[in-house]
Amino acid sequence: MTTDSDRSITTSGLRRDFGPLRAVADVDLAVEGGTVFGFLGPNGAGKSTVVKMLTTILRPTAGQALVAGYDVQRQGAKVRSAIGVALQDVGLDALMTARELLALQARLFGASAAEARETAERLLVTVDLSDVDPKKRVGEYSGGMKRRLDLALALVHDPLVLFLDEPTTGLDPVSRAAIWEEVRRLNREQGITVFLTTQYLEEADRLADRVAIIDRGRIVAEGTPRELKRRVGDEVVDLQFGDDGEAERAAGVLAGVAPQRQVSGPEVRIYAAVAAEIVPEVVRRIDEAGLSLRGLSVAQPTLDDVFLRLTGRRAESADAGDQPAEAGGGSDDAVETGSRGGGGAATDAARTSDAGGRTASRRQEVQK
Amino acid sequence: MIDVVLLVRRSLLTTLRVPAAIIPSIAISVFFLFVYNSGLSSVSALPGFQGSYLGFILPVSIVSAAVSGAGLAGQALIRDIEAGYFTKVLLTPASRLSIVWGPMIASAILLVAQVVAILLLGLLLGLNPATGWLGMLAVVGYAFLWGMAFAGYAAFMALRTKNSAAAQAATFAFFPLIFLSATFVPLEYIQAGWLRAAAKVNPTTYVFDAMRALLNEGWSVRPLLVGLAVTLAFASLTGGLALWEARRATRLA
Repeated sequence: MTTDSDRSITTSGLRRDFGPLRAVADVDLAVEGGTVFGFLGPNGAGKSTVVKMLTTILRPTAGQALVAGYDVQRQGAKVRSAIGVALQDVGLDALMTARELLALQARLFGASAAEARETAERLLVTVDLSDVDPKKRVGEYSGGMKRRLDLALALVHDPLVLFLDEPTTGLDPVSRAAIWEEVRRLNREQGITVFLTTQYLEEADRLADRVAIIDRGRIVAEGTPRELKRRVGDEVVDLQFGDDGEAERAAGVLAGVAPQRQVSGPEVRIYAAVAAEIVPEVVRRIDEAGLSLRGLSVAQPTLDDVFLRLTGRRAESADAGDQPAEAGGGSDDAVETGSRGGGGAATDAARTSDAGGRTASRRQEVQK
Repeated sequence: MIDVVLLVRRSLLTTLRVPAAIIPSIAISVFFLFVYNSGLSSVSALPGFQGSYLGFILPVSIVSAAVSGAGLAGQALIRDIEAGYFTKVLLTPASRLSIVWGPMIASAILLVAQVVAILLLGLLLGLNPATGWLGMLAVVGYAFLWGMAFAGYAAFMALRTKNSAAAQAATFAFFPLIFLSATFVPLEYIQAGWLRAAAKVNPTTYVFDAMRALLNEGWSVRPLLVGLAVTLAFASLTGGLALWEARRATRLA
């Protein structure tokens, strides 16, 4: 029986430079065996570079990493036989069939011909591809089918740790849900440690036991999704106004009551320890300012809120075109963040992230 | 070693699934055989020419087939690198050797099949090999090694450039290897001093010599041994370079 420490991932001072660019800066991570770890960050934050180092594809410039109890730099072969890897860009041979690819992969990991055939059949059922025409070549598969096959290929040797680099990027909601279900099942039934990178906060929120957020090569937050959400306050109050201008004015009026506010079109989101304690004051001030409140609701903060606070931008801003349908509205916005004059308190350094030159249809502001 | 077998088999499978990539190679070697044999066979009437022109030109047809085979091996590697499949195999316990030599050996095996066909065609055209069936088998053996040598160069360039167009361009180096040699007439008939000098340092000359000896002369030890030594050295050099480049380009932790 494998113990949990055999399935863990630990890094200390992990660093990778590309010429003068420091892609990953002294990252310390501790992933407990048998858990699902969500590694979040915008495009180019260093997620994939960390995964490549942990999977022995890329050598670290400095620092140390242990995967499944083995040093990635000195015991690469042992690490490779303990891990399954599905990278962001699937690695498939378009000319082969799914069964051929799976059986070959199993054989390269040491299985006999009979075992390999059996593994191929079993995994095709696992990833729900067993009904596909056996003669169909992988080149004719859809994006979602390729992802599922790639996941199956990562599982042929019953790995202890599974690395999934943005496993659902670009997938439709149905394919995405299928991958999520499979990841959950693997973790629950086989105790596989899953290291999952994603730009989708919802994905991390649904799957991960713990989450780390990386931005510009540095870990900016780490904890359970619940802990991270608490950082922005336990509750959020959403206020709806008639137009964007009213929302802007309301945000100014509320500076004294709610130090953390976010304006999104005609909506203002405020963060509070206990919503009930501030709502009466909020309503009174809005009333005094002569603004008309169209709606008010209290909700839990999402990881999206955490992310926006910590990195100054939405996680998905860089490739809004690939949005998951479930992620909700507002995600295709260009995001502008910065400080506003009102409070006068020390604010986050003004930072602008440009979402591919897209014109901002709505504007979001983060204030501390 | 099982990994080599598995990856050779996989390369054969995927190569055969794109027949359009193999057909030109067959067409070119048949072209060499027919056109040059028909157009230049009077060369055999020259004083001192031993055997038939068909036996003389047939090795050119074989070497040209080896060029196409090598191109296929290089393209196969690039296809795998571009598709990300190369990385997938790198993450298995398969050796670097098997990953690089898989497509090389596969292309050499396809070359062997093609050489057998060329020889059979030659027999139909009236080839009467001086060393009989055993000699033709030896020709096939030389072809295999020569195929490996060219494929090694193509694989090296593929791994170095990782770019389809660049690797394709690199195969142009095969043209001087084929034509700066005693390609169409025996070395002693070549007038230009520079061409004779180039032919002498060109390894292809020695594989031509060995095959021609087998087809036109008989079991002449010297050209056969020199041919074998040159072919082995050339194959080891390019195969070694390809392996070295693979290790360098895919240095895992």
